[in-house]
Formats: sequence, structure tokens, C-alpha cells
Amino acid sequence: MQKKHLVIAGIALLPLVNPPLVYATTAVEQLLVEYRSQGATEFTVEAGKELFFKEFVDAKSTQVRQCTTCHTDDLRQPGKHAKTGKRIDPLAPSVNPKSLMEIKNINKWLKRNCEWTIGRECTAQEKGDVLTFMQSQ
Amino acid sequence: MPSSNHLSAPVYRVRVWDLPTRWFHWLLASAVLAAWLSQGDSRYVDIHVFVGYLFFGLLVFRLVWGIVGTQHACFRNLAFGGHALWRYLITLPTKQRQHFLGHNPAGSWAIFGILGLGLVIAVSGILTLGGENQQGPVAGIFNFAQGETFHLVHKVTAWIMLALIAVHISGVIIASVLHRENLIRAMVTGVKQCPTEQISVASQAPVALVLLVVVIISAGGYFRGYLTATPDQPYLPFVGTTLPSNALWQEECDDCHLAYHPSLLPKRSWEKLLATQQEHFEENLGLAPEMIATLRTFALNQSAETAPTKTAWKIYRTTPASESPLRITETPYWQQRHQRLPEEVWKHSEVKSKANCDACHFDAPQGTFEASAMMVK
Repeated sequence: MQKKHLVIAGIALLPLVNPPLVYATTAVEQLLVEYRSQGATEFTVEAGKELFFKEFVDAKSTQVRQCTTCHTDDLRQPGKHAKTGKRIDPLAPSVNPKSLMEIKNINKWLKRNCEWTIGRECTAQEKGDVLTFMQSQ
Repeated sequence: MPSSNHLSAPVYRVRVWDLPTRWFHWLLASAVLAAWLSQGDSRYVDIHVFVGYLFFGLLVFRLVWGIVGTQHACFRNLAFGGHALWRYLITLPTKQRQHFLGHNPAGSWAIFGILGLGLVIAVSGILTLGGENQQGPVAGIFNFAQGETFHLVHKVTAWIMLALIAVHISGVIIASVLHRENLIRAMVTGVKQCPTEQISVASQAPVALVLLVVVIISAGGYFRGYLTATPDQPYLPFVGTTLPSNALWQEECDDCHLAYHPSLLPKRSWEKLLATQQEHFEENLGLAPEMIATLRTFALNQSAETAPTKTAWKIYRTTPASESPLRITETPYWQQRHQRLPEEVWKHSEVKSKANCDACHFDAPQGTFEASAMMVK
């Protein structure tokens, strides 16, 4: 009985040991719950990866755009803004603990970058898939 | 001691120029050359400014030396009137030409001309630095427009100086040929050869040594910042005023590019940029209205019209009122300042784009764009 209590206490205290990891997960988890409530079904790394690498043709400029245009093929590497060349921190939480931490930031960039890349806002399903993929990196 | 030349007439070696006069001459000539080479390029403004101070200091020294110096350096022995100058010049091509052990009347006039004009150039340079760049001893006293006027005076007098130097050098060559004496060598060694015995001037070496030490110490003091500079902490010879900043501006703009200070575009440009945020260079920023309001207030309060820096003032002044450029690179001032750069610069791996000001301008994030705050790659 004593041992069981200690284990429970240990699990309860776990968030204090490595808060960023836990919060990052919390932010994405919260968003996934939200997306599910909007009608999305199951999110998979594979679907997210496919979307991340998918090529879209911009109607106005006829240029090919994809997530990797700025974020590169390797999410653990820093990216580069397509237009200004400014450095973009790696998206993979495994190398950039600040990534996927704040709901506000995730929303801002998903909205702005889906519009630039696909030409429209992403669906709840697409957002959930791509976040699941990014989180796995 | 008389020696003999090939005609076996006696020749006496006489020291005409003391050491301080000679070193002054060559230091001044070097300063003029360095000033000429360092002008017109913002990267070398600190060199130009130092050389200007050196030039000014040398002129002041020469004015003092013209009063307390040795015989041929003294102004009272160089005070030839217009009549004496005329007589010297009209007899120069003839056999009746007059020879002077020290400066001839034409040389003397050149000296007074160069000293007087030099003072105007030095003072107008300091006033330009104070007005246009708000740097140096008179920073904060004159405005940009006054600085621009001083700059014009500085440029015109510098051109006149070049013409005067050309006349001076031609005169030295002509007189050397006609009088059969090497005047350039005399200014190096101080010695001229005379058919009659003449009294040599004192060398005054200690004064020359003090002059040289002061010059070296001044240069060391002025450029000491370069000794402690590292690639991460470059030395900035000129640090501009601290411009107001805004946290939201910094955060939102810096997401995708350098947070260009609002003083780099006029109000009308910022109005247009913030009103078209859904099409911000092909991106929909999607910023909340209250964020746009905060950004707008900051931009309009700190726009180019407020002219806190030379760059801001120049951008505002040169952008036609009918135009509202959305890019700083579209302003005439930006284009004028960058027109001489080769295309390769923009393709450099660390520059990447014309939008990347801080690739070369160390103080781009602060928005001051001081001269000399530039990387040379």
C-alpha cells in the first residue's frame, strides 16, 4: 500500500520534472480534442506527413508551394523564410523545446501558413494530422 | 663645408627646412590623400573623420610653427605681396628669374592658400559630421538641413583644394627644373645646395618627435575599439541615438523579417501596409484589429517624418509625396545608397535578400544605420 502511494505521488509530480514537454503535449492535446469536436476523426503521423510534403500550386504566382518550402525536408533542421530568407527555428519538439508550446502560436502559424501554402485555411482534420506528425519528430 | 659639382664651382649644403616643417608637410600630404581615398564610402567614415581631425590638428600646429618656428618656416618670411608674386612669375621663364633659398613668392602664396582653405575644409567637415550624422564635437547643435549645407561647402572646398594642390605640385616641378634644384628632395632631407655659404636652420628634432608621438597616440586612441572587436561584438565607431521600440512591433515583424524601424518609411507607407495586412507580400498576416491598432500608433508616431536619424530624414526627404513605397528598397535614398553594390552581394549566402539589412548593417535592428556600422565581406 505504501509503495502504491509513492508511485501515485511520483506520477502526480512528474509534470514538475520536465514541464515544457508536458505543456507542449498539453497544447497539442487540447487542440486535437478541439479538432475532434469539430468533426475530425483519427489523426495519424502518416496523413500529417503526406500533407506536410504535398505540393500545391499557387494560383496567382503559379509557383509550387509546400510546407517544406520554408521548413525543409528535415523538421529537426532550421528552416528559411521563402521570401526574406530569415531563419526559422526547427519545428521538431525533440530539438526545439519551444516548438508546439503555445496554443496561440500554433493557431497563428497554422492559419497564416495554410493560407500561403494551400491557399485556404486548413480543415480540422488536416491541422490535427499535421500537428500529430510534427509532434512525432 | 663646400664641395664641388662637375663644374667645380663651390657648393654649400644648407639646411633650409627644419624637421617639424618637413614632417608636417608629409603628414599633411598623407592626410589629404587618405581623406580623398576614404571619402564617399560609409564604411570608411571613421577613417575619414580621424584623418580630418589629424588634418585640422596639423594645420593648427603649422599656424603656431609659422610664428615660433625657424627662419624659412616663419610666416613673416613668407609674406610676399602681390607685386613680388607677379615679378617672380613674369621673370620665371627668363634668365632674370629670382632664386629664393626658402619658399619663393608663388610657393608662399600656395602655402597660405592651402592653410586657409584647409581650415575651411576641416571646420566644415566637423560641422557636417555634427549636422548630418549628429556625431562629433558639435553633435546636437545643427540640424540635418544645416549639415547638408556644410557638406556642400566641404565638398566644394575640397575640390578647390585639389586644384590648388595640382598648382602647387606643378609649381614645384617647374621651379625644380628652372632653378635646377630638386625641391621635393629638399622637403625630404631639408637640405638645399647653395653657391654661397648660408646659415642652416636648427633641426628642431625634439619638436618633430613630439608631433609624431602625438599623432601616433591620437590614432591609437581613436581606433582602439578595433583591437577589442570580435566577430560577434563588432566595433561600431559611431553609435546612434536609441530609437523608441515597441514589444508587439518587435515580435510580430521579427517573425518573418527584421523588425524594420518605423523611421525607415513615411506615415503614408505604414498606413497602407497596415491597411493591407491580409495581403502582406503574398501573406495574410491575420492580426487582430487591436494588434493592428497598436502597431499603427507606434508606426505613425515614429515614422520617417520624425527624422530621428540621418537615414530617416533622407528617406523622407527623397521620397516623392505622391508615392507610398511599401518596401524600404523602393525609396530613392535606399536605391541611391546601394546602387554601386554588385548583384553578387544580394546572392551572398549570408545576405540572401535585399530585405536582410542586418546582414551588413550591424545596427539595423536598432534602426540607426550609422555610417561605418557595416560588415565588409
